[in-house]
Amino acid sequence: MTGRRSGNRIRGPQSALTDFLAANNISAAQIRDDYERRRRDAEVNGEGPSNAAAEVGAAEEEEVASEQPESEANKKKRKREERKAIDEIKNKKQAEKKGKGKAKKKQKKKHGSDDDDSEYENELGNEMYKKARPAPGQFEHCEICSKRFTVTPYSKTGPEGGLLCTLCGKELAKDEKAAKKPANKPAGRKRRKLESDRLDGFAVGGAKSLQQICIETVAKYHDDIEELGDMPAPIVERLSEIFSKKRMLKPKTLPLFLRPDLEEVILHDAAYLEVEDYKQIFAVVPNVRTLVLGNACQMKDEAMAYMLDKCHNLQHLQMYAPNLVTNAMWQRYFEAAGGKLQTVKLKWLDAAFEDDTVQTMATHCPDLRRLKLKLCRRIGEQAVNAIATMPRLEHLSLQIGRDISAEIIVNLVKQRGDNLRTLSLEKFLDADDTVLETIHDHCHRLSKLRFSENDTASNAGYTKLFTEWKNPPLSFVDVNGTRDVDNNNPDGPEEAIGVSSSAFKALMKHSGSNLKHLDISSCRHIELSAFIDVFNGAESYPMLEHINLSFCSRVDTTVVAGIFKSCPSLKKLVAFGCFDVADVVVPRNIALIGVPRAQDAIEQFGVGIDVDEALGRMIEVGA
Amino acid sequence: MSAESDYVTLISSDGYSFVVQRSSACISAAIRRMLDPSLGFAESKTNTCRFENINGLVLEKVCEYFYYNEKHKNSKDVPDMDVPAELCLELLMAADYLNV
Repeated sequence: MTGRRSGNRIRGPQSALTDFLAANNISAAQIRDDYERRRRDAEVNGEGPSNAAAEVGAAEEEEVASEQPESEANKKKRKREERKAIDEIKNKKQAEKKGKGKAKKKQKKKHGSDDDDSEYENELGNEMYKKARPAPGQFEHCEICSKRFTVTPYSKTGPEGGLLCTLCGKELAKDEKAAKKPANKPAGRKRRKLESDRLDGFAVGGAKSLQQICIETVAKYHDDIEELGDMPAPIVERLSEIFSKKRMLKPKTLPLFLRPDLEEVILHDAAYLEVEDYKQIFAVVPNVRTLVLGNACQMKDEAMAYMLDKCHNLQHLQMYAPNLVTNAMWQRYFEAAGGKLQTVKLKWLDAAFEDDTVQTMATHCPDLRRLKLKLCRRIGEQAVNAIATMPRLEHLSLQIGRDISAEIIVNLVKQRGDNLRTLSLEKFLDADDTVLETIHDHCHRLSKLRFSENDTASNAGYTKLFTEWKNPPLSFVDVNGTRDVDNNNPDGPEEAIGVSSSAFKALMKHSGSNLKHLDISSCRHIELSAFIDVFNGAESYPMLEHINLSFCSRVDTTVVAGIFKSCPSLKKLVAFGCFDVADVVVPRNIALIGVPRAQDAIEQFGVGIDVDEALGRMIEVGA
Repeated sequence: MSAESDYVTLISSDGYSFVVQRSSACISAAIRRMLDPSLGFAESKTNTCRFENINGLVLEKVCEYFYYNEKHKNSKDVPDMDVPAELCLELLMAADYLNV
């Protein structure tokens, strides 16, 4: 019944008083209910049976009036009858009260506390324009079954506006509930959600795991949870991820993720947290080794100083956008706590963090193994030179907005290359073939290489890099966006810029046996013949799970079919902007994303067909 | 000592037992290993798993999930199973333990 009233129903005008009361959280419905209850209680507690009897029935009243002079026996009999009637009403009310009380509670739980107010408001609005209903205790005829019944404050209103007996009222409530359920989730939103999950890469066929379902339920009821108990750390982490994603990580829910015995605090969205909350983190979890604070926009020097004071074991520090922390504080932090740091990952620093700070970090963090600096606006070539002196660096990811000359990068790779496992250089526009050559000569332990968004290095350079490279096969390669961009010459220069056919073939020859993740999106100079040669069905790439070949415009349906055949572990193939791909039948457990067919979903997901059958069907379609 | 039967028994800490299809129970990696005869656990001989840390209410829900999962194995756009709020933390612990 509440569901029917809330929602987009049109309501009559409300008086200023009603608005005022609603705004102050005073509900007229509640006042009325209280009044009714008091009145009922008074009746029951014996303001005299005569009062109650008056309501039992008008007929009886008349009788009483006419038979004033009556015998003692008659009087007694009448009194007895009266009492019986009163008792009956009482019992009925009590029973109904109990039943209703339960139902109401359940409902509240379901709807959450927010809905209650509007429920009252709506009820109030409807109440004002209605005929006064019979007072509780009177008899009425049910609108549906025409049975005579006692009106109670809980009697429901029927479809025609009359009152319903308890039984019919219950039926009606049931019907409404059933009718309400499907309306709750519009199909469109559900489909969009699913689509978005697929694009995020975590929707596969079949049911979700029970853990996933539970975690989502926990997130839904985040307001009611007081603590998580002895949850294992990975689950706490997963929960914090979901809380972050739904933007529910607030000072109120923060304590859920803080436990003195934990060694990691991972909060991917700390935007709602203020200095006091940060202090709370460091006070409750002083042994923290891994600290991740995403969107740490309210992190200030004061909180950093407190962290310095409390947490002496911090080894892994990851922060995004802590822009209120000053240069002096960064210096002080690295000087005092740098000795233990093994990981530093910082992103989106605009206001502070200069070349000098990086220099201090290089001097005071001798044990640093993992360094990621992305979108830190104030650092430049000097910072890169400082990084080149860090002795134990194994994983290095850089994206620097200022121009960095090729020599500086060559120097960096020369100094650090032989120890590196990860090298990620994003958007170094001036890096040329000399950088690739240095990587070829000095990096022999890499497993992950990213060299993206560059329009300087040539196809010949990449080919040389991947030919007879002493480095073992890579497991992660991202060379997206390496191509020539010139509107006047869309096909690119004679000597291809970026990864083109020969470089791609060399890359797959070198790393194909171990490659898990391949991103060659926007490498638009790779020819169709190269794709067909690489994914010919005979060659197998046993580990390859993710491929992104968006905007490789030469890719066509045969290439996609070849990929299905050549990559037995494939999970996800992203192919936005590959306009020659059409009529693909997707095998089981593979998600194909982005193939442009306006009438289809943007992503296609294989169900129940294995590779051979899918290829068979594709050939039928093609023939 | 029974050979591999089609059904296995799961017993909760408070003594409720649930007889479920072997194929469904084996959705849980932990139970699958318990029941694998080649690993020789006592559970695989009696076809019975006893869970001292999972109570009847939670185990019932777990069994419900097994069948829900099996039913939707090959379909997509699966509707989510309903999990009562008061059970979800305990259920989460159980799910983590059973690896489902």
